[in-house]
Amino acid sequence: MLIPHPLLGLRDAQEFTYLGDAALLNRPDGMAEGAAEAFNDYVYLRDNPAGVHRELWFHEQGDRSWLIVTRNTVTHEILGAELARDVALAAKGGAQ
Amino acid sequence: MTDLSPITALGGAVPRSVSFGALSLSENTGLALASLSLRRGASQPVPMGLQLPGPGGWTAGNGVAAFWTGPGQWMLEGEGRAEESFARELKSRAPDCSVTEQTDGFVAIEIASAAGPEPIRALMRKLVNIDAAGFGPGCATRTGLEHMTVFVIRRAEDRLAIIGMRSLAGSLWHALAQAAARLEGEPA
Repeated sequence: MLIPHPLLGLRDAQEFTYLGDAALLNRPDGMAEGAAEAFNDYVYLRDNPAGVHRELWFHEQGDRSWLIVTRNTVTHEILGAELARDVALAAKGGAQ
Repeated sequence: MTDLSPITALGGAVPRSVSFGALSLSENTGLALASLSLRRGASQPVPMGLQLPGPGGWTAGNGVAAFWTGPGQWMLEGEGRAEESFARELKSRAPDCSVTEQTDGFVAIEIASAAGPEPIRALMRKLVNIDAAGFGPGCATRTGLEHMTVFVIRRAEDRLAIIGMRSLAGSLWHALAQAAARLEGEPA
Protein backbone atom coordinates (compact mmCIF):
# COMPACT_ATOMS: atom_id res chain seq x y z
CA MET A 1 0.00 0.00 0.00
CA LEU A 2 1.34 3.42 -0.96
CA ILE A 3 0.51 6.68 0.83
CA PRO A 4 0.66 9.83 -1.34
CA HIS A 5 2.64 12.04 1.03
CA PRO A 6 1.87 15.70 0.22
CA LEU A 7 5.57 16.66 0.42
CA LEU A 8 7.45 13.49 -0.52
CA GLY A 9 5.21 11.72 -3.02
CA LEU A 10 4.27 8.06 -2.92
CA ARG A 11 5.71 6.30 0.13
CA ASP A 12 5.44 2.75 1.37
CA ALA A 13 2.77 2.34 4.09
CA GLN A 14 5.32 0.34 6.16
CA GLU A 15 7.08 3.64 6.93
CA PHE A 16 3.96 4.87 8.72
CA THR A 17 2.27 4.09 11.99
CA TYR A 18 -1.48 4.35 12.30
CA LEU A 19 -3.30 6.20 15.07
CA GLY A 20 -6.98 6.26 14.13
CA ASP A 21 -9.88 8.58 13.44
CA ALA A 22 -8.84 12.09 12.45
CA ALA A 23 -11.62 13.41 14.70
CA LEU A 24 -8.95 13.13 17.45
CA LEU A 25 -7.69 16.51 16.23
CA ASN A 26 -10.86 18.11 17.62
CA ARG A 27 -10.03 17.90 21.30
CA PRO A 28 -12.88 19.24 23.47
CA ASP A 29 -12.46 22.22 25.77
CA GLY A 30 -11.74 20.83 29.24
CA MET A 31 -13.09 23.93 30.96
CA ALA A 32 -16.42 24.05 29.14
CA GLU A 33 -19.82 22.99 30.43
CA GLY A 34 -20.27 19.20 30.11
CA ALA A 35 -16.52 18.60 29.61
CA ALA A 36 -16.61 15.19 31.32
CA GLU A 37 -19.25 13.94 28.90
CA ALA A 38 -17.41 15.45 25.92
CA PHE A 39 -14.12 13.83 26.97
CA ASN A 40 -15.81 10.48 27.50
CA ASP A 41 -16.96 10.63 23.87
CA TYR A 42 -13.57 11.93 22.69
CA VAL A 43 -11.55 9.22 24.41
CA TYR A 44 -13.79 6.16 24.08
CA LEU A 45 -16.32 6.54 21.28
CA ARG A 46 -15.37 6.09 17.65
CA ASP A 47 -17.37 5.84 14.47
CA ASN A 48 -16.58 2.64 12.63
CA PRO A 49 -17.61 3.40 9.07
CA ALA A 50 -17.62 0.83 6.27
CA GLY A 51 -16.40 3.13 3.52
CA VAL A 52 -14.56 6.44 3.39
CA HIS A 53 -12.69 7.23 6.61
CA ARG A 54 -10.38 10.12 7.53
CA GLU A 55 -7.59 8.89 9.78
CA LEU A 56 -4.29 9.97 11.32
CA TRP A 57 -1.06 8.40 10.11
CA PHE A 58 2.44 9.22 11.42
CA HIS A 59 5.38 9.10 9.00
CA GLU A 60 7.61 7.49 11.60
CA GLN A 61 10.33 6.18 9.28
CA GLY A 62 10.26 9.31 7.20
CA ASP A 63 9.88 13.01 7.87
CA ARG A 64 7.91 12.42 11.10
CA SER A 65 4.92 14.45 9.99
CA TRP A 66 1.34 13.61 10.90
CA LEU A 67 -0.94 13.08 7.93
CA ILE A 68 -4.67 12.84 7.53
CA VAL A 69 -5.19 10.02 5.08
CA THR A 70 -8.59 9.47 3.49
CA ARG A 71 -9.04 5.74 3.02
CA ASN A 72 -11.89 3.52 1.99
CA THR A 73 -12.02 0.88 4.74
CA VAL A 74 -13.85 -1.56 2.45
CA THR A 75 -11.48 -1.50 -0.53
CA HIS A 76 -8.33 -0.06 1.17
CA GLU A 77 -8.23 2.52 -1.61
CA ILE A 78 -6.30 5.63 -0.52
CA LEU A 79 -8.20 8.67 -1.72
CA GLY A 80 -5.81 11.38 -0.55
CA ALA A 81 -3.46 12.63 2.12
CA GLU A 82 -2.86 16.05 3.64
CA LEU A 83 -0.65 17.38 6.40
CA ALA A 84 -2.54 17.24 9.72
CA ARG A 85 -0.85 20.50 10.67
CA ASP A 86 -2.40 22.32 7.71
CA VAL A 87 -5.84 20.90 8.53
CA ALA A 88 -5.58 21.84 12.21
CA LEU A 89 -4.36 25.35 11.42
CA ALA A 90 -7.12 25.86 8.85
CA ALA A 91 -9.68 24.77 11.46
CA LYS A 92 -8.31 27.44 13.78
CA GLY A 93 -8.69 30.04 11.05
CA GLY A 94 -5.06 29.91 9.93
CA ALA A 95 -3.71 31.34 13.21
CA GLN A 96 -0.28 30.00 14.23
CA MET B 1 46.34 9.96 32.89
CA THR B 2 44.38 7.09 31.41
CA ASP B 3 45.66 6.14 28.02
CA LEU B 4 42.58 6.22 25.77
CA SER B 5 42.64 5.34 22.10
CA PRO B 6 39.87 6.67 19.89
CA ILE B 7 37.90 4.19 17.79
CA THR B 8 35.52 4.70 14.89
CA ALA B 9 31.77 3.98 14.94
CA LEU B 10 32.52 0.48 13.64
CA GLY B 11 35.06 -0.08 16.40
CA GLY B 12 38.26 0.11 14.36
CA ALA B 13 41.33 2.24 14.79
CA VAL B 14 40.93 3.37 11.17
CA PRO B 15 37.76 3.77 9.06
CA ARG B 16 36.56 0.52 7.55
CA SER B 17 36.27 0.08 3.79
CA VAL B 18 35.55 -2.79 1.46
CA SER B 19 34.82 -3.34 -2.24
CA PHE B 20 32.60 -5.78 -4.06
CA GLY B 21 32.90 -5.56 -7.83
CA ALA B 22 32.06 -2.03 -8.93
CA LEU B 23 30.78 -1.00 -5.51
CA SER B 24 32.95 0.22 -2.67
CA LEU B 25 31.77 0.96 0.85
CA SER B 26 33.65 3.19 3.23
CA GLU B 27 32.99 4.45 6.70
CA ASN B 28 33.10 8.26 6.73
CA THR B 29 34.46 9.21 10.13
CA GLY B 30 35.16 12.80 9.18
CA LEU B 31 31.56 13.86 8.61
CA ALA B 32 30.30 16.43 11.09
CA LEU B 33 26.52 16.59 11.51
CA ALA B 34 24.28 19.17 13.13
CA SER B 35 20.52 19.46 12.94
CA LEU B 36 18.86 22.79 12.39
CA SER B 37 15.18 23.52 12.98
CA LEU B 38 13.17 26.66 12.57
CA ARG B 39 11.33 28.07 15.52
CA ARG B 40 7.67 29.02 15.15
CA GLY B 41 7.13 31.82 12.69
CA ALA B 42 10.85 32.10 11.89
CA SER B 43 12.06 32.67 8.35
CA GLN B 44 14.41 30.25 6.63
CA PRO B 45 18.09 31.14 7.14
CA VAL B 46 20.97 30.76 4.68
CA PRO B 47 23.52 29.23 7.10
CA MET B 48 27.18 29.33 6.01
CA GLY B 49 26.02 30.70 2.65
CA LEU B 50 24.14 27.50 1.83
CA GLN B 51 20.66 27.64 0.34
CA LEU B 52 18.69 25.02 2.29
CA PRO B 53 16.96 22.39 0.12
CA GLY B 54 13.22 21.75 -0.13
CA PRO B 55 11.44 18.49 0.81
CA GLY B 56 13.39 15.39 -0.21
CA GLY B 57 16.41 17.43 -1.28
CA TRP B 58 20.17 17.61 -0.64
CA THR B 59 22.41 20.51 -1.62
CA ALA B 60 26.12 21.15 -1.23
CA GLY B 61 28.14 24.31 -1.44
CA ASN B 62 30.71 26.44 0.38
CA GLY B 63 32.28 23.32 1.89
CA VAL B 64 29.09 22.25 3.67
CA ALA B 65 25.97 20.37 2.64
CA ALA B 66 22.42 20.04 3.91
CA PHE B 67 19.50 17.68 3.50
CA TRP B 68 15.85 18.16 4.37
CA THR B 69 14.66 15.98 7.27
CA GLY B 70 11.16 17.33 7.91
CA PRO B 71 9.06 20.48 7.61
CA GLY B 72 11.30 23.30 8.85
CA GLN B 73 14.13 20.87 9.70
CA TRP B 74 17.46 20.11 8.07
CA MET B 75 20.66 18.23 8.80
CA LEU B 76 23.86 20.11 7.99
CA GLU B 77 26.98 18.16 6.97
CA GLY B 78 30.57 19.32 7.32
CA GLU B 79 32.91 17.04 5.41
CA GLY B 80 36.12 16.38 7.34
CA ARG B 81 34.99 18.52 10.28
CA ALA B 82 33.92 15.86 12.81
CA GLU B 83 36.66 16.98 15.20
CA GLU B 84 35.53 20.61 15.17
CA SER B 85 32.71 22.35 17.02
CA PHE B 86 30.58 22.26 13.90
CA ALA B 87 27.25 22.75 15.72
CA ARG B 88 28.59 25.76 17.60
CA GLU B 89 29.70 27.39 14.37
CA LEU B 90 26.33 26.67 12.76
CA LYS B 91 24.52 28.18 15.74
CA SER B 92 26.60 31.34 15.45
CA ARG B 93 25.62 31.58 11.75
CA ALA B 94 21.92 30.87 12.42
CA PRO B 95 21.31 32.27 15.91
CA ASP B 96 17.50 32.29 15.58
CA CYS B 97 17.30 28.54 14.90
CA SER B 98 17.51 25.50 17.17
CA VAL B 99 20.80 23.71 16.46
CA THR B 100 21.78 20.33 17.90
CA GLU B 101 25.09 18.52 17.61
CA GLN B 102 24.49 15.13 15.88
CA THR B 103 27.96 13.94 14.81
CA ASP B 104 28.41 11.33 17.51
CA GLY B 105 24.87 9.96 17.18
CA PHE B 106 25.30 8.68 13.65
CA VAL B 107 27.50 6.61 11.38
CA ALA B 108 27.95 7.61 7.76
CA ILE B 109 28.72 5.03 5.10
CA GLU B 110 29.68 6.28 1.66
CA ILE B 111 29.02 4.02 -1.30
CA ALA B 112 30.78 4.67 -4.60
CA SER B 113 30.31 2.93 -7.93
CA ALA B 114 33.09 2.52 -10.46
CA ALA B 115 30.59 1.57 -13.17
CA GLY B 116 28.16 4.47 -13.29
CA PRO B 117 24.73 4.74 -11.70
CA GLU B 118 23.38 1.24 -12.35
CA PRO B 119 25.15 -0.56 -9.44
CA ILE B 120 23.89 2.18 -7.08
CA ARG B 121 20.33 1.70 -8.33
CA ALA B 122 20.62 -2.08 -8.04
CA LEU B 123 21.82 -1.77 -4.44
CA MET B 124 18.97 0.61 -3.60
CA ARG B 125 16.43 -1.78 -5.09
CA LYS B 126 17.75 -4.49 -2.77
CA LEU B 127 17.79 -2.37 0.36
CA VAL B 128 15.17 0.38 0.50
CA ASN B 129 11.57 0.79 -0.59
CA ILE B 130 12.30 3.98 -2.51
CA ASP B 131 11.92 4.40 -6.27
CA ALA B 132 15.60 4.09 -7.25
CA ALA B 133 15.08 5.43 -10.78
CA GLY B 134 13.48 8.62 -9.47
CA PHE B 135 16.07 9.09 -6.72
CA GLY B 136 18.62 11.12 -8.64
CA PRO B 137 21.56 13.27 -7.51
CA GLY B 138 20.37 15.86 -5.00
CA CYS B 139 17.73 13.59 -3.49
CA ALA B 140 17.77 12.67 0.20
CA THR B 141 15.22 10.95 2.36
CA ARG B 142 14.73 9.17 5.64
CA THR B 143 13.44 5.63 5.35
CA GLY B 144 13.67 2.12 6.76
CA LEU B 145 16.50 -0.29 5.91
CA GLU B 146 16.27 -3.76 7.49
CA HIS B 147 14.12 -2.26 10.29
CA MET B 148 16.71 0.45 10.97
CA THR B 149 15.88 4.06 10.23
CA VAL B 150 18.43 5.68 7.95
CA PHE B 151 19.01 8.77 5.87
CA VAL B 152 19.72 7.97 2.23
CA ILE B 153 21.48 10.65 0.18
CA ARG B 154 22.25 10.48 -3.52
CA ARG B 155 25.34 12.67 -3.66
CA ALA B 156 26.00 12.01 -7.35
CA GLU B 157 25.03 9.57 -10.08
CA ASP B 158 27.70 7.17 -8.84
CA ARG B 159 27.65 8.05 -5.14
CA LEU B 160 25.22 7.18 -2.37
CA ALA B 161 25.52 7.89 1.35
CA ILE B 162 23.70 6.03 4.10
CA ILE B 163 23.60 7.70 7.51
CA GLY B 164 22.29 5.50 10.29
CA MET B 165 22.23 5.30 14.05
CA ARG B 166 25.70 4.89 15.48
CA SER B 167 24.65 2.23 17.97
CA LEU B 168 23.53 0.09 15.01
CA ALA B 169 26.64 0.77 12.92
CA GLY B 170 27.68 -2.90 12.84
CA SER B 171 24.25 -4.11 11.72
CA LEU B 172 24.02 -1.40 9.09
CA TRP B 173 27.46 -2.22 7.70
CA HIS B 174 26.54 -5.90 7.62
CA ALA B 175 23.31 -5.16 5.72
CA LEU B 176 25.06 -2.97 3.13
CA ALA B 177 28.10 -5.20 2.68
CA GLN B 178 26.00 -8.33 2.35
CA ALA B 179 23.73 -6.74 -0.26
CA ALA B 180 26.74 -5.45 -2.21
CA ALA B 181 28.44 -8.86 -2.04
CA ARG B 182 25.32 -10.59 -3.36
CA LEU B 183 25.01 -8.08 -6.22
CA GLU B 184 28.55 -8.95 -7.28
CA GLY B 185 27.47 -12.53 -7.79
CA GLU B 186 24.41 -11.63 -9.83
CA PRO B 187 24.46 -11.34 -13.62
CA ALA B 188 24.31 -7.70 -14.75
